[in-house]
Amino acid sequence: MNLTAVRAIFKFEMARFFRTIAQSLISPVLSTSLYFVVFGAAIGSRIEEVEGISYGAFIVPGLIMLSVITQAISNASFGIYFPKFIGTTYELLSAPVSFLEIVAGYVGAAATKAMFIGVIILATSFVFVDIQIAHPVAMVLFLILTCLSFSLLGFIIGIWASNFEQLQLVPLLVVTPLVFLGGSFYSITMLPPIWQTISLFNPVVYLISGFRWSFFGSADVPIGLSLLAIAAFTVFCLAVIWWIFKTGWRLRQ
Amino acid sequence: MSAILEIESLRKVYADGFEALKDVNLEIKTGEIVALLGPNGAGKTTLISTVCGITQASAGHVRVGGYDILRDFRQARSMIGLVPQEINLEPFEKVISTVQFSRGLFGKPRDDAKTEQILRQLSLWDKRDSQVRELSGGMKRRVLIAKALSHEPKLLFLDEPTAGVDVELRKDMWEIVAGLKAAGVTIVLTTHYIEEAEAIADRVGVIAKGEMLLIEEKARLMDRMGQKQLEVQLSAPITEIPAALETYALSLSEDGCALTYSYDTRRERTGITKLLSDVSAAGLVLRDVVTRQSSLEDIFVGLVHAGEEDAT
Ligand SMILES: Nc1ncnc2c1ncn2[C@@H]1O[C@H](COP(=O)(O)OP(=O)(O)OP(=O)(O)O)[C@@H](O)[C@H]1O
Ligand SMILES: [Mg+2]
Repeated sequence: MNLTAVRAIFKFEMARFFRTIAQSLISPVLSTSLYFVVFGAAIGSRIEEVEGISYGAFIVPGLIMLSVITQAISNASFGIYFPKFIGTTYELLSAPVSFLEIVAGYVGAAATKAMFIGVIILATSFVFVDIQIAHPVAMVLFLILTCLSFSLLGFIIGIWASNFEQLQLVPLLVVTPLVFLGGSFYSITMLPPIWQTISLFNPVVYLISGFRWSFFGSADVPIGLSLLAIAAFTVFCLAVIWWIFKTGWRLRQ
Repeated sequence: MSAILEIESLRKVYADGFEALKDVNLEIKTGEIVALLGPNGAGKTTLISTVCGITQASAGHVRVGGYDILRDFRQARSMIGLVPQEINLEPFEKVISTVQFSRGLFGKPRDDAKTEQILRQLSLWDKRDSQVRELSGGMKRRVLIAKALSHEPKLLFLDEPTAGVDVELRKDMWEIVAGLKAAGVTIVLTTHYIEEAEAIADRVGVIAKGEMLLIEEKARLMDRMGQKQLEVQLSAPITEIPAALETYALSLSEDGCALTYSYDTRRERTGITKLLSDVSAAGLVLRDVVTRQSSLEDIFVGLVHAGEEDAT
C-alpha cells in the first residue's frame, strides 16, 4: 500500500476545499436554515408531532442526509472530473498507485468534506430546534457510511461524465428525487400503502430511516436492514470502481 | 551495459480501430539519451504513453529495469518520470505544492531540500509560491519537468520538451538534459528538430506510421553524413573498372558511364586529386565531376518516404 500517495492526494484535495472554505460552507448552512424556517417553523407549526417528535426536530436527520448526500456526490464527482477535464490524470495513471489508493485519496477527501458539512448542519440545527441524539455512536457510523458510499457514487459519476452537463445530470435527475422521496421530510408510514411499497425500492429510505433511528430510536424499516442496505451499496460502488480501473473505462485509451 | 527499457513487439490499436503502433521493438541502455524523430501522428506519444501506463497496449511486452509494466507496475513506474507533450497542470495550485504532490504520489517522503534543488535547477525557485496559471508557457513546461523529476526517476521521458520554446530555453533544456545524463538518468525524448537530436542524443530513432524505421548510434549516422560521394562521369562507357583503380573501391554505374567514389570529408587526405590523375592515367576521359553529401535530414526524409510508400 502506497500510503504516501494516498496522503498526497488527500492533502491536495483538501487544499482545494480550504481555498474556497467560505463558499463551501455558506451555501449548505444557508439552505438548511431556510428549510428550518419554511418547514420547521412556518409549515411545521401546523403539523402535529410525527411519531411523538416535533416536526422541526423530525426533519433534522433528513436534512442532514440531504446535504451530506448532495455534497458527497458533488465533491467526489468534481474531484475526479476536473483532473480528467484539464488532463492531469496522466499523472495518476502513470504513478505507482493502485485503484484502491487513488479511490482512498479522492473519496476519502470528498467524504471528509461532506462529513464536515454534515456536522456544521447538525450544529446549525441545534440553534433552531431542541433535539437529543439517542444513539450517538450509531449516528456517527451512519454519517460516515453515507459520506463514503455517496462519495464513491460521485467518483463513478465524475469518471463517467464527459461534460459539465452530465456532471450535474445524475445528481439532479436521480439523487435529488430519491432523497426527497426517501422520507427526508416525512415518515413513509404516512404514505398510502401502495406508495409505501414503492418506497421500499428507494435505497435512500433505508439510510434516512436508520439515521433517524439513531436520533429518536424509532425507524420506518428495521435498523439491521438499514445497515445492510448501505453496506451493500458501498460494496456495489467499490465493485464498479474496481471494474473501471481494471478496464481503464473512460480513463485510459 | 544493461537495458533499462525493453519493448517487445508492442502493438497499439485505438478504440476506433486505428493501429498507432505496429510491432515496435526497442531496447534502451542505462544512461543513454535517445531521441525519437518522426512526423506528426507517427506514434511517438502513443509509444511513450503505453510505456507509462496511460494507454493500454494491445499486444507485446514492456519491461522497465527488468520489471514488467503490468505485473510489477509499482516497481516499473517508480523508476519513470514523464513530461507530457501537452501542458496539463492544475491552474490554481502553487508551483511548489504541485511538485511536492508529484513526489508524494510516487510514494517518496517529503524532502524540502530535494524539491528546492529541482526548482532552482529549473529556475523556478523564485516562482515557487506563484499559482501555475500566472506563469508563462515556457515556465509551465519547466513545472512539468520539475514534477517529473520530483521523485528522482531513473528513466525520463520528454515528449517534445522544446516545442514552442525560445532558443534560450532550448539551450537551457539541453543543459538540463546533459546534467541529468551526468547524474545517471536515462532519457528518451521526442523532437521535430533534427539539430536537437544531433546536439544531445547518443542514439537516434526514426518512427513513421507506427513503425520504428531506424535506430542507430548518432556517431554512426554522423559518419554516414560525413561521407561524400564523388561521381566521375565518363565520355565513353566502360565495362569494367581498370585494375589500376582497384584500391579506390569504386562502383560502376549500370550504363558504365559513371564511377562513384566515397570519401570522408573529415579526413586530411580525401584522395580526390590522386584519383582524378589516376583516372586519366588509366586512359579514361572525364566528362563531368559531381559531389553529393547526405545529411541526417536526407536520411530522415528518405526513410519516412520509403515507409510511406511501403504502407500504400
Ligand atoms: N485516443 C486516440 N484515439 C484514436 N486515435 C488516436 C488517439 N490518440 C492518438 N491517435 C492517433 O494515433 C496516431 C499517433 O498519434 P501520436 O499522438 O502518438 O503521434 P505523435 O507521433 O506523438 O505525433 P506528434 O508529433 O504530432 O505529437 C495519430 O494518427 C493519432 O491520430
Ligand atoms: Mg506527440
